[in-house]
Amino acid sequence: MIRHIVDDVYQIAEYLPARAGVEAVLVYVLLNDGLPILIDCGAQVHRVGIMRELTELLDARAPEVVILTHSELPHAGNLSHIAREWPGVRVIVSNVMLPYIEITPQVPLANISTAHAGALLTPAGRPLQFVFALLKDQPGSQWIFDPRTGVLFCGDGFGYATTAADVQLFGDELPGGVSVAQFRGHHQTAFHYLRWVIPERFNADMDALFARHDVRVLAPIHGNAIRADIPGHVARLQQAVAEIRAAGVHA
Amino acid sequence: MTTTVFGEGLERVAVRAITPDIFWITHCLGDAAAAIYANYFSMLPNAADYTGHRVVDYPFSAFLIRDEKTLMIDTGAPRQQANTLKAVEHVLGDQPLDYIWISHIELPHAGNAPALKRRYPMAEYVAAAGGEQYALHGLEGARLTAAGEVFTLGKHALEVVAPLFVDHGLSQWAFERTSGMLFTADWAHNLHEPARGECFMFLDEMTAGGYTAALHADDIAVNAWYQFPWLKWTDPDEVCAAIDALFDRYQPRILAPSHGNVIRGDVMGYLPLIKAGMRKAIAM
Ligand SMILES: [Fe+2]
Ligand SMILES: [Fe+2]
Ligand SMILES: [Fe+2]
Repeated sequence: MIRHIVDDVYQIAEYLPARAGVEAVLVYVLLNDGLPILIDCGAQVHRVGIMRELTELLDARAPEVVILTHSELPHAGNLSHIAREWPGVRVIVSNVMLPYIEITPQVPLANISTAHAGALLTPAGRPLQFVFALLKDQPGSQWIFDPRTGVLFCGDGFGYATTAADVQLFGDELPGGVSVAQFRGHHQTAFHYLRWVIPERFNADMDALFARHDVRVLAPIHGNAIRADIPGHVARLQQAVAEIRAAGVHA
Repeated sequence: MTTTVFGEGLERVAVRAITPDIFWITHCLGDAAAAIYANYFSMLPNAADYTGHRVVDYPFSAFLIRDEKTLMIDTGAPRQQANTLKAVEHVLGDQPLDYIWISHIELPHAGNAPALKRRYPMAEYVAAAGGEQYALHGLEGARLTAAGEVFTLGKHALEVVAPLFVDHGLSQWAFERTSGMLFTADWAHNLHEPARGECFMFLDEMTAGGYTAALHADDIAVNAWYQFPWLKWTDPDEVCAAIDALFDRYQPRILAPSHGNVIRGDVMGYLPLIKAGMRKAIAM
């Protein structure tokens, strides 16, 4: 389902049942004055729905660039299809990624470029800040900040499951926003290593990141966008990180 | 069995016996590595420590156990698919593949699972339990395991090991009881130099050719820094205690990481070096 988030940014969401309720797998689209940019491109199993909604949203325009937060199949599984449909599409991954082996061979290597954390690049003319992903489930995970809209695309970070009844709501539309328990449920599975992480140190880096960038929208891939109360959501994620650690290394 | 190589460049795959019935199936770039890993050391936070450092290569490995039943640990990546299948057929001959055992679901580890399943339709996917949507990852119908579960293959028995250091949430390591082989996926691997002929060598062969303990500890550190960016938030004593406990419990005799040269003897002797490497990675 397509929902408008802010300015020229949209989400296309697919949902599937998960242990803790319903899990979302999203594609974000920046219409970008006719030169569309996708952030991730969804799973192969959702190909039909994603392609139909993409075609509708892009209004027959071809996407210029796909930026991958990372290359796991829920994020990049539809990439071979997109590359077949729009052979000119360019792909940007983290410079810690090895495109020749981590990206589907359907995308010509010449069409893939890399970005390092801290770089300000202008793919398709859009200034985007590439950010060190504080929650990485692959060495080559990256976050992307869009200064124009204040959206932080944060990959598997800030993900959360919902109930079937709430599935189409933005995170900020849930009563009280996304809860500590929701963040904890997602992060303890997605980032199993958090049990090793000393919360004070991690949370200090998290505070520094949000002091550096004026984030007005959080855009996780596994949860709808969160458009309000960013400090409250960051604090609840930090609380979840502390609780995962408290449960112990051998939890 | 000597090393048999299929294909070349970005697609080459080699197969080599570690024991008479356990095979190392591995891709690395050889001469093509220089271009791809040119910045491997210069991207480090302490890059100055590595100026003039080696031109290295980085393998992507699977392990195949041949017994009454057969089991493959990981699958390699799609770009090496054709040569990986050749390597598997070379080892198995007419025998079927029974288990496709996946450490974690990234392309270089699990990307050829569907192709192996097409070639060996009776093979069963095996992956770590934990609520993951394996259909999303192309592993529909995977049998889900828990740490401690044992796959008896005949003379060999593969035990699922709870992994210590992971990137992806759902990961598993393994211990083969007869050979004493500990498989550690993305952890505890060295680097090698194609120009010194080190592709497909066992670590003791590299040592005989001049690969030192100091280089080895450095490599453990550098690779861990790349692989586990979260180490900087951890307590080194806690990390080392967990490594001690792991080695204590399994007393491994072969160490088989996904991205390094296989260590086929005196694994316990490498323990201090591995811990020193991890301390260094945490301090980077
Ligand atoms: Fe992921
Ligand atoms: Fe990995
Ligand atoms: Fe790996």
